Amino acid sequence: MPFPNVRLSNRPLHFIYLCDCSGSMAAQGKMQALNQAIRQSLPGMAEVARENPEARVLVRAVRFADQAAWHLAEPTPVQQLQWRDLEAGGITAMGDALNLVADALQSPPMEERALPPVLVLISDGQPTDDFDAGLANLMRRPWAQKAVRLAIAMGHDADLEVLQQFIGPEPSGRGKSPRRPLQASNATTLAQYIQWASTAVVGAASMPASRVAAADAGTAANSPANIPLPDLPPTLLDPSDDVGPLVW
Amino acid sequence: MVNPRWQHLQACSVIGAAHRRQQKPCQDASLSVELKGRGGSLQLLVVADGHGGSRYRLSHRGSALACQVSQEAVEQWLSSTPLTEPERWRQLLEQELPAAIHQRWLAAITADWALRPGAEHEPFSPLLYGSTLGLVLLAPQWWGCTGIGDWDLSAIDQQGQAALLSEEREHSGSEATGSLCQTFVQQLWRERTQLHPLEPHTDLQALVLSTDGVRKSCATDADYLQLCAALLDVRDRQELEQGLAHITQAGSGDDVSLAIAHRASKPKRSSVLPRGWRWLLLLLAASGVGLAAWLVTRQETPLQAEARQLCANPEQIQATLNQRRAQFKALLNQPQLASQLQQLASTDPLGALIAASQSGPIPGCTALNAELNRQWQRARATAVPAKGKMPAAAPPAAAPRNP
Repeated sequence: MPFPNVRLSNRPLHFIYLCDCSGSMAAQGKMQALNQAIRQSLPGMAEVARENPEARVLVRAVRFADQAAWHLAEPTPVQQLQWRDLEAGGITAMGDALNLVADALQSPPMEERALPPVLVLISDGQPTDDFDAGLANLMRRPWAQKAVRLAIAMGHDADLEVLQQFIGPEPSGRGKSPRRPLQASNATTLAQYIQWASTAVVGAASMPASRVAAADAGTAANSPANIPLPDLPPTLLDPSDDVGPLVW
Repeated sequence: MVNPRWQHLQACSVIGAAHRRQQKPCQDASLSVELKGRGGSLQLLVVADGHGGSRYRLSHRGSALACQVSQEAVEQWLSSTPLTEPERWRQLLEQELPAAIHQRWLAAITADWALRPGAEHEPFSPLLYGSTLGLVLLAPQWWGCTGIGDWDLSAIDQQGQAALLSEEREHSGSEATGSLCQTFVQQLWRERTQLHPLEPHTDLQALVLSTDGVRKSCATDADYLQLCAALLDVRDRQELEQGLAHITQAGSGDDVSLAIAHRASKPKRSSVLPRGWRWLLLLLAASGVGLAAWLVTRQETPLQAEARQLCANPEQIQATLNQRRAQFKALLNQPQLASQLQQLASTDPLGALIAASQSGPIPGCTALNAELNRQWQRARATAVPAKGKMPAAAPPAAAPRNP
C-alpha cells in the first residue's frame, strides 16, 4: 500500500572531522599525511554508504589553528566529496572548534531524525584556548551526547588527557580500545585509523541495533556510547614497535 | 446508548530491509487477538521489538515469547477480573500485569535456552533475548496500555487526525531503549501505563501501536502521524504487509511492526432528516470523498504529492529545503545528477522536486517556488569558483586495505 502523503526517509549520518591545523602540523609531513589519509579513505567510506542505503552519509570538516572555521561547511554526501587540502599555521584553538560543532549539532539545523553523528578529533598538540568551555558547550547538545566521539593523537606531543575528555570516560582495564585516543606515530598508522573510522565505524553507525538503555548486565558498563564500536585495526600501539618510515 | 465495538484488529511484523540484506531473522513480533472473560470480550494488541546485534542474538525468540506470555498473563487476569471494573484494571496495568509478564517472560526464555543444543556450555543471560514490549487492551467501556521500551502509540480521532499518545521519552531519538531483559523496574512500566474510559461519543476512531522502526522511517513526526492516519484505509493484512515492506525499504531499514484497532463509527446523535435521506446523503458524500481521494492519489506523481505536501505547510518549506543545500550545490556542479534524481522520484521525491526546479517553476504554490528560487540563488552565490587545480582523489587501488 503506498502512503502518498507521507515522507519516508533514510536517516542522515553526519560524519565530522575536527582537524588540528596548528603550525606544528607542518613539521615532519603530518599535514600532508592527514590530507592524504582522509582523501584515500573516501572511496571506502562511499562503498560503506552504498552498502547501507538506510543511512545518508554526510561529511563535514572543521579546521582549527588560530581560530576554528569550517573547512567543509555543507553536509556533503560522501559520494560527491572532493577533499581540499588543509594547510598548517597558527596555534591550537581546539575549544573553538568544539563550539563550532556544537552549533552544527543543534536542532535545527540538525534534522529531527538522524543516526548518531560520528565526530573524529585529530590533533598533534595541546589546546591553546578554553578547551573545557568548548567541550562543555558541545556536550550540552543531545546529538553530541549520542555521537560516536573518536580521537586520533598524531605523534608524542598530543595531549592525550584532553583527547580522552573529548571521547568520554576512559574504559577500565588496559589495552587498546577505541574509547581511548588512538595514537598514530606515522603516516601508515594514521591512514589505518582514518580508514577504520570512515569505514568500520561508519558501517556500525549506519545500521545501529537498538540496545538496552541503562544498567544492563555485563559489558554494557564498558560501552557507554550509543553505538557498539567495531574492533580496532591490528595496528601496533607501541610507538617503539612501529615500522613506519617516519616516526612523529 | 451503546458504545461502538472494537473491530478490524490487525497486527503485522515485516523484516527490515537491512536485516533481509544481512540475512538476519525478523526480530519484531506482533499479535492481535480477542480474549473472552468475565463481563465480555477483551481485544489485545501486542508489539515487541528484539534488540538485534550480537549481544542479543536470540532477540527474535525474545520478542515472540514476549507476545505469547503477554497473552497468557492477560488471559489469567481476565478470568478473574470483571471488565466493568476499570480502576482495578488500571491497577493491574500499572502493577500486577507488568510483574506477571516479566516473570513469565524470564521463565519462557530460560526454558527456550535449555532446549538449545550446546546451551550447557555457555552461560545463560536474559540479554541474549532482549526485547521491548508494548500492549494495548481494548474493552467495551475502556482501553488501556502498558509496556516497556521504545514503542509508540497513536490515536486517530473521528476527523481522521492522529495524535501521539505514548512514547518512550527518556531515550527519544537514540538507539537505547528500556527492555524486558533488564532487572524489573515497576516505574518503567508505570510511565507507559494509561487507561481511558470510553463513552459512546468519545472522539476516537482507531489506535495504532508500532515498533520504533516505523516512526524512524518517517522524515518527521508529522509524517509519522500522517502515516498512522493513512492506515485507516488499509483493507487487509496483505495490504498492511505491503505497506510495512515499503516503509522499511524507503525508511530506516529496521524491522517494522504495526497493530491497529478500529472503533466502529460513532452514530449520529440527532438528525432532522428521515433515515432514508440520511443514507442517501451518506452515500453521496462517501462517493464524493472517494472520487476526490482517487483523483488525488491515483493521478498524482510523487513529485506532485511532495509539492502539495510542502505547500500545505508553507512555514516548513524553508527548513525542509535548507536540509538539502548540498543537493542544490551538487546539481549546479554536476548537471547530470538531475536526471538521476528525477528517476528516483518514488524514493526521494524532494530530491526530484529540487532537480526539476532547476529548469523553471514547478507546479505548486508561490511560496514553494519562491523558496526554491532563493535556494538556487544562494547555491550559486556560495559556489566556490575553481581556483587552479584541485587535488586529485587517490585512485581506489592506492587506498590502504581495510584491515
